[in-house]
Amino acid sequence: MSLARIPWVIKYRPKRVEEVVNQEQAKRVFLSWLRQWLSGKPPEKKAALFYGPAGVGKTSLVEAAAHEYKLELIEMNASDFRRREDIERIAKIAATQSSLFGRKKIILLDEVDGISGTADRGGLDAILELINNTRHPIVMTANDPWDQKLKPLRDASLMIAFNRLSERDVVTALKRICEAEKIECERDALKYIAQRSEGDLRSAINDLQSIAEGYGKVTLDLARSLVVSRDRQYTPWEMLRNLFMSKYAWQAKRAITHTDLDYETILQWINENIPVQYSDPSDIWHAYEALARADIMLARIKRTMSWDLLSYVFDLAGPGVALSRKRSKFRWAKYQFPQKILMLARTKEAREIRNAIAEAVGKRVLVSKKKFLSDVLPFMKILFEERPDYAARIAIAYNLTDNMIKYLAGARYQAVKEHMNMLLLRMERPPTVSKPVTTRESKRKESSRSVRSRSKRGGRGRQTTLF
Amino acid sequence: MSSELVELLWAEKYRPKSLDEIVNQEEVVNRLKKFVEEKNMPHLLFVGPPGTGKTTAAHALAHDLYGENYRQYMLELNASDERGIDTIRTKVKEFARSRTPPEIPFKIVLLDEADNMTADAQQALRRLMEMYTANTRFILIANFPSKIIEPIQSRCALFRFTPLNKDDVIARLKWICEQEDCKYTVEGLETIYEVSEGDMRRAINILQAAAALGTVTPEIVYKVVGLAHPKEVREVITLALEGEFMRAREKLRSLIISYGLSGTDVVKQIHREIFSPELKIPDELRVLIADYTGEIQYRLVEGADDEIQLNAFIAWLTLLGQKLRASR
Repeated sequence: MSLARIPWVIKYRPKRVEEVVNQEQAKRVFLSWLRQWLSGKPPEKKAALFYGPAGVGKTSLVEAAAHEYKLELIEMNASDFRRREDIERIAKIAATQSSLFGRKKIILLDEVDGISGTADRGGLDAILELINNTRHPIVMTANDPWDQKLKPLRDASLMIAFNRLSERDVVTALKRICEAEKIECERDALKYIAQRSEGDLRSAINDLQSIAEGYGKVTLDLARSLVVSRDRQYTPWEMLRNLFMSKYAWQAKRAITHTDLDYETILQWINENIPVQYSDPSDIWHAYEALARADIMLARIKRTMSWDLLSYVFDLAGPGVALSRKRSKFRWAKYQFPQKILMLARTKEAREIRNAIAEAVGKRVLVSKKKFLSDVLPFMKILFEERPDYAARIAIAYNLTDNMIKYLAGARYQAVKEHMNMLLLRMERPPTVSKPVTTRESKRKESSRSVRSRSKRGGRGRQTTLF
Repeated sequence: MSSELVELLWAEKYRPKSLDEIVNQEEVVNRLKKFVEEKNMPHLLFVGPPGTGKTTAAHALAHDLYGENYRQYMLELNASDERGIDTIRTKVKEFARSRTPPEIPFKIVLLDEADNMTADAQQALRRLMEMYTANTRFILIANFPSKIIEPIQSRCALFRFTPLNKDDVIARLKWICEQEDCKYTVEGLETIYEVSEGDMRRAINILQAAAALGTVTPEIVYKVVGLAHPKEVREVITLALEGEFMRAREKLRSLIISYGLSGTDVVKQIHREIFSPELKIPDELRVLIADYTGEIQYRLVEGADDEIQLNAFIAWLTLLGQKLRASR
């Protein structure tokens, strides 16, 4: 595992309260409450409940304050509240006065809305008891504190609301990171990432990092193709990590079924990253063969609409791929965006031109587009790349556009164009013309040229114009 | 206007326009000429290998029936270009309503690469043929008659196009060379025949590119074929066998995306490479690889993803290469 890969959300978490992006109202309320604690007169409500959407700075504010006021941060995740010993450990700390010279403490209970149902009933009671007995400030965070079961917590706490961050807030924060990392970032790309994050700075920073680390720069195109909306599902990167780390079939299956990506895209992500994760040829092949079988299943589903086969796609692409690892050691891999999707986007224009040529010329050579691409186009390219003079005559005969000529001739494009201009001029002007032409005459020539060159396309072309 | 100012692709320029100009496929041509005389014909099914003149014969027949402007009386469809039977149905319906030619009581629907249609689509096609039989005739073109469903075959007059023989191809190439005033050696033309495998269209395409590069000699012909067919295919195989999976994968990708080859094109080229003497592997391995290649090709026909399937293939080759090295 490489140390260089510190998540930026950790590397750039705010060290001071003022560095926390926006949330001015929340900061003011929180700080005045905290200062009461620090001055030795605990406020009436001994706990504060931060609530608001994910990734807007709730945890960051607690961490920043702890850092700034040199408090010892005691952190506990709500899911830990099921374990007796953890609760007791925290309860003990909370109930103990810090020594005169010891550091003051602040207790953070993250994601308290994660406590759910009757199973956690004990957990909720434990928290309430903690609040009652504490001698240190307790901060809790929640996305949605309005559940009925959380009412006792709400009553016992100072409620502090966190707002969704604005696009501008997010862009500013991202820009600071880009500057610190010395990474070239297009402003539009940052805006796009910010937009898609819907005010969730954490996810925005994660997106930024995955693009920047993968490509060394952040452009709008990359952002567009990479950033997916989250909806509490795994991002492709998370999906892959979970998949490849799975020890059991159920874990692998869970990994690939908890994502928003469509089925083809899931397979493409795995396709891209099997050899990134695995090193042993035997593992790589087994994983690919499992993936290939999944892909066949998917093809069958699409052909016959038998969606009840879908489960097999997941069996093979999930556990099939994950459990192929026999000899490769698990390593911290930097997963890549599927190149196929990127390249398809990048080569879209070229493919469209290619099809346009196939359409225009294929009709006259009487072959399908597919046949044209495999049987005719390669030889046409040779003519254009090797013989610009000859190519110019073909380009005129088939009325090829500049883009088509560029595609066919590549580096020889200029040469072909020059020959074409010479030929067109020769078509225009009978060799005897020597006196200079007036503007009006040249205009007429201009218009007659297009008509004539069209009628000069040769056999088939002439026939069609006769209809 | 001098003909030097424009240049057509020879595949268009030297395509026979009427049945009289078609030199081979004598039996086929004679039967087709009968239809022209009688000004009537049944539905036709042309089958035979690529480049043997099926499409050309269909156009020539229509030309001889309707004259120079025959294309207004012929609906040209290509099963591999159309988006499905529904678009074909709409086009045929519209076409059947358009006006009929003055002297001939029917128009022609030409459906190329009909064997690319699924059996279901062919059933629908059969109904179409029946529905409009009053004023249209279908000419279906296919490489393999076995891929055309029985009910369609039984409704059509079958025409088998045989592979062109060497003398015919070379005579034609020679004739074109004389028309074009280009230099060639007989060995050069023979090489074209060999690499084009009896496919006239391919032979003419190669000839034109070779002639543009200089005298048509075997060397130039091989150069043209090499340029047209990315040598990366062989590199993919050797890289994989050498254990360079990632590089093999990258090469493969550029073949599919940059050259625009379909997965099937790549598989077919791989298949050709396997038995090339330049690939230095034991013969029994060639058979093994061919077996897996066939499997991959079948998967692609089933609609599987070309990159995933081909990656599985090269992953397997990589493993094979490792075992091969270990056994030495």
